[in-house]
Amino acid sequence: MGEAAAPETVVVIDDDYAMRLSCCKILSKMGFRVEAFEDGTRGLEGVGRLKPGLIVVDLKMPGISGIEVISRVHEIDPQITIVVITGYATIDTAVEAMKCGAYDFLPKPFSPDELRLIVNRGLERRRLSLESQQCEIERALLKRRFVTFVSHQLRTPLVAIHQYLDVLKHLGDTADVAAKREEWIDRCLKRAEELQSLIADWLTLARVEGGTLMKERIKVDLSQLLPGILKTYEEMAAAEGVSLQVALPEAPLCVGGDWNCLTVLFDNLITNGIKYNRPGGKVTVAGWLSEGEVVVTVADTGVGIPEKYRPFLFDEFFRIKDDGAKKTTGTGLGLHISKRIVSEMGGSLDLESEPGVGSTFRVRVPAWHEADSAITGSSE
Amino acid sequence: MSAKVLLIDDDQDFRASVRSLLEGHGYEVLEAASGHEGLRMIVEHKPDAVLVDIMMETSVEGYGVTHALKYLDEYAEYRQIPVLMVSSIEESPDERFPMSPEAEMIRPDRYLTKPLDIPKFLEVLERSVGVSKRASS
Repeated sequence: MGEAAAPETVVVIDDDYAMRLSCCKILSKMGFRVEAFEDGTRGLEGVGRLKPGLIVVDLKMPGISGIEVISRVHEIDPQITIVVITGYATIDTAVEAMKCGAYDFLPKPFSPDELRLIVNRGLERRRLSLESQQCEIERALLKRRFVTFVSHQLRTPLVAIHQYLDVLKHLGDTADVAAKREEWIDRCLKRAEELQSLIADWLTLARVEGGTLMKERIKVDLSQLLPGILKTYEEMAAAEGVSLQVALPEAPLCVGGDWNCLTVLFDNLITNGIKYNRPGGKVTVAGWLSEGEVVVTVADTGVGIPEKYRPFLFDEFFRIKDDGAKKTTGTGLGLHISKRIVSEMGGSLDLESEPGVGSTFRVRVPAWHEADSAITGSSE
Repeated sequence: MSAKVLLIDDDQDFRASVRSLLEGHGYEVLEAASGHEGLRMIVEHKPDAVLVDIMMETSVEGYGVTHALKYLDEYAEYRQIPVLMVSSIEESPDERFPMSPEAEMIRPDRYLTKPLDIPKFLEVLERSVGVSKRASS
């Protein structure tokens, strides 16, 4: 297992010497490791020992029948592909064999090409089925790790708050505690906010993934939406010493989407621009129409995003942890959610970034067509 | 002389509250925000006990610290330092990692859940430090 170079093993079980010989010859030439057995008992012993990917078995043999071989082989390993050879082209037995789990059948007489084709197809199917099984296992593992990770993310701020309160209560009214009380209360509030936004983000994500967030697709004019959003961040920007600038056309800039989703999207991009900026820096939101698409860029003048982090930037819970990066309180979900929202709208979200100069996030979504409203039956 | 306790945890608020608690009980407190920094401080300050979070953000740093202290030759002289493991996950590591060698390194009384049950934590710490001090003298 795992060695790509190892040839696949094929086992042939047939009481007819000439048949064994010719099958072995054809299959060996195809590059397989082939072993042949003259009856079911020896064949099953061989299958247990050799762990083949595929077996070719004659249905009509003395001793253990081909049908029984099929079920016994699948007891050993249900993933082994079984091709049955039927003498006299008896369709009934072939059908029975397929019902018992055989992959396909070859009626005698058959040509070398027919054998090659069916063996290749059988092994290909086996490969695909093994791959999808592996994917299933990996997905389950990922899901379990995700749940552990999320619960840890949610518990961390809660634990911090709880521990502060416990210690405050335990130490009582000492001078040391009195000096710290104010600071600790502020920290508790900060962590509670962190927890709030983590839960809010997580719920948004769950709704995006469940496809319920974008249910409503109405005409939204970004020339109106964006200045409104920017206004709500004036205070936050001022606190960080960052100025907000806007460059939007006079004409409407309409897209088809959900008002709340679009607000979440630009909230995320604008807050990122403010948080990952420098004092005296600016965040510029620009929008225009380009070949049937609405393009909106959110540009900051921050430290930029090092190239090595860019492939992971839109991943769930990804946060840049650099020695130089200041302590930020992001949930690591904002960009992931943003990307999902833009994808739902049939658009794209990209990044251009130059370390030391700043980052620009570029949203491209299809422009609103009046015909769209006729389809969804809703308009403004 | 007061006993020195090293807190290794990436959450600054958790460290801040536990620091005050321990200082209020006469301990000297050192802090490290990562497993890596923690190991450096162990060598530098040789604390009497270490409190380490298992699931710090960079995967399993907590186990890294424990493993280094118990098995690596370069930390042989610190092997006696008691390590208290903490985690916000409410299962004992024996249940979470039944087959892993890490599980056997941790005695049940050395695994604590966050938020810390203060009386229990102080009791376990006091006992650990007492054992540690006797062993080194």
